[in-house]
Amino acid sequence: MIKKQILLIPFVVFIIILLSFFYLLIIERNPSELPSNLLNKTTPKFETNKIYDDSTFISSKEFGNEIVLVNFFATWCKPCKKEHKYIKLFSEKDKIRVIGINYKDKKNKTIQWLADLGNPYSDVLIDNTGEIGIDWGVYGIPETYVVNEKGIIKYKQIGQITKKSYKKIISIIEKINNEK
Amino acid sequence: MIPLFGNFALWLSLFFVVLQIIYSRKEKNNLVLQINRVAVIGLLACSLLTFASLTVSHLNSDFTLVNVYQNSHSTKPLLYKIAGVWGNHEGSMLLWILVLTIFNYFIFRSYNKNNFKFISNTLESQGIIIIGFLIFTIFTSNPFKLMKSIPVDGLGFNPILQDPALAIHPPLLYVGYVGFSAVFSFGIAALKIKDINTFPWHYYMKPFVVAAWTFLTIGIALGSIWAYYELGWGGWWFWDPVENASLMPWLLGTALLHSLIIVEKRNSLKTWVLLLAILTFLLSVIGTFLVRSGILTSVHTFALDPSRGLYILIFTAILGTYSLILFAIQSKKYLDNNYYAFLSKEGAILANNILMVIVCSTVFLGTVYPLLVETFTNNKISVGEPYYNSTVIPIAIPAILIMGIGPLLSWQKEEKIKILKKIFPNIIITIVATIVIFLNYKTYNIVGIIGIVLAFWIITSNTILILKKVKKNSLSMIVSHFGFGLLILGITGSSIWQEEKILNMNINNQVTIKSHNITFKKIEEIKGPNYVAIRASFLVEDKNRNIITKLEPENRFYPITQIITTEASIHTNLLRDLYIVLGDGNLKDGWVIRIYHNPLVIWIWIGAFIIFLGGIISINKNLKKLNIS
Repeated sequence: MIKKQILLIPFVVFIIILLSFFYLLIIERNPSELPSNLLNKTTPKFETNKIYDDSTFISSKEFGNEIVLVNFFATWCKPCKKEHKYIKLFSEKDKIRVIGINYKDKKNKTIQWLADLGNPYSDVLIDNTGEIGIDWGVYGIPETYVVNEKGIIKYKQIGQITKKSYKKIISIIEKINNEK
Repeated sequence: MIPLFGNFALWLSLFFVVLQIIYSRKEKNNLVLQINRVAVIGLLACSLLTFASLTVSHLNSDFTLVNVYQNSHSTKPLLYKIAGVWGNHEGSMLLWILVLTIFNYFIFRSYNKNNFKFISNTLESQGIIIIGFLIFTIFTSNPFKLMKSIPVDGLGFNPILQDPALAIHPPLLYVGYVGFSAVFSFGIAALKIKDINTFPWHYYMKPFVVAAWTFLTIGIALGSIWAYYELGWGGWWFWDPVENASLMPWLLGTALLHSLIIVEKRNSLKTWVLLLAILTFLLSVIGTFLVRSGILTSVHTFALDPSRGLYILIFTAILGTYSLILFAIQSKKYLDNNYYAFLSKEGAILANNILMVIVCSTVFLGTVYPLLVETFTNNKISVGEPYYNSTVIPIAIPAILIMGIGPLLSWQKEEKIKILKKIFPNIIITIVATIVIFLNYKTYNIVGIIGIVLAFWIITSNTILILKKVKKNSLSMIVSHFGFGLLILGITGSSIWQEEKILNMNINNQVTIKSHNITFKKIEEIKGPNYVAIRASFLVEDKNRNIITKLEPENRFYPITQIITTEASIHTNLLRDLYIVLGDGNLKDGWVIRIYHNPLVIWIWIGAFIIFLGGIISINKNLKKLNIS
């Protein structure tokens, strides 16, 4: 008797799956949209070396004190160079702490690159293997995250910062300040 | 004129298939058989004509057709004008129907004195599948739709699809997918007919399973080759939903293929075979749904029309509900209580079968999980490579191990000492070969070691089988398994030891990867038949400064479709591929260059091709068997 009922299982599973397909087919949705899983969550914990003095950066100590921008960049990435002036604006004009995470890159090249373009970062951290990038859910660089004073990620900017996205990030920071 | 003719033939095939369905339900007599012949051959002729008409329209760049206008251009090279026929949704549906009717014809060909009822039932199910796809094509995706006004030239064909491997990839893949429709129909017939317990239906099923599986294998391999050469991402498998959609029927097909051997030798496991036959085809259709409905994003999604998705879904629901309920009610007659010794050929096949089904379920879960999560919780997630790597590899490892032992075992039961004696030479050769490989690559990694050991295990055990000329093992099995060993060697080598360098280079800069010196020589603009390109030139030398080759990756711009593609430049030998991709850049700041050192990649393609050869040998053998029985 039990055997006979087992024979029905494939059918039941099949129907459940089809019904869910049907539901997805008729609702309005954009299949390529994927919001960050980390939004409104605390920053992933990590430890890594800083590029200039090789001292250790412990994320749990650094996040949660003030609003911080986290910017993933690399010297081989062209858009990173283009958005650099906005990163500078954040740190110099708006006085926001920007942490740079140097993604899959060479130490010497990065130091040279920052010497040429100016270094807007409070800390430049090494992510040689891309593991920190994976923890943060980086699609491709550049990517920039807005972390509030409680260490919670409030916004993620995928791709190069432009004039428009610069304004967007500033408005998000203002909003965080107002909510305090 | 030609499109009109094609459209007429398309509608006419609807008539023939209805005739086939009606007459395959009738009792046996000569007239019925004759009318059935007319229906089957008429249907085949109509779909050939339909397909030929669309091909001619594409060759003539007949822009009165929406389909040609949207997917072709007069400057397109000839090969891609032909490939363009199935490189779009509507045309690919015609190809799908053509392959369905070809298999339909082969089912018809297996009529003989004793199997009238069985073949008629099979033809009926096959007819219903064909009618489903015909109605779908005629009403939602008719390739002969006319333009309202006649344009001067077409919109062009997606240049990323202009690749020789991709030109023949869909037809081969479809033979695989659609071949399982015949297997499905045989299964339905075996379930439907009441007094069929002693009828050897598995003999009919087997050549179709082998054919479908063989072509699916080579089809997937070609898709993979295309991804490797054309996408320029340095890899050959990305766990894209569409890749999974082709892999899942392949995995179940593999299980089915091997289970049929048990049915043949031990007259057991029939229920299981029937379930696999149904699920394999259902997975092919669900795969088609996932690709064509646009509910998942993928590089392959070309039809984003919800009505099409809805139609395929309803069709899948009907097919699946009918077949699975029929299975639940009727398969009891095949239940048996046989038990197998684990250390026997059938024990090994069964264990492998279970592992294949688990791998398939894992891949299926990964593919539909994001959709299920979205349905039930409204959250969006994505499942990527890490999931598959950490779930599929541990299940695949024991499966491959069993694959190395199984063929050496006897049917029924085997003594443990005898097994050890049999496999002793393999163990020695495997150890030696593995040590040689590791002395060469000098990278140690636990998955790498397991992969290489398994690969040599399979390769040597099959080489020994060939050398010993053991009669009881079939040549096709040995050849396919041997190919599979090479495939594993390639997969392991290229995924474990791949080295990647991304850097910014200026002219005359140099970089070293795995003892190759690579010098960026020059960059220039060139003009192709329907594109313009920037081509970089790299000189590759070994560590003693002997010139190995010149690599010239390109970035092409196709003005008609306004698409930029990257053409990787690859130097291949038996040990490694050197793979260079040109990225963004300019003369002042230099260019982003990605260089990959991919060991043993060529063995993946060689392995797949040898598996294909093994399959061809087996198709031949099984068809001969069918004529005798």
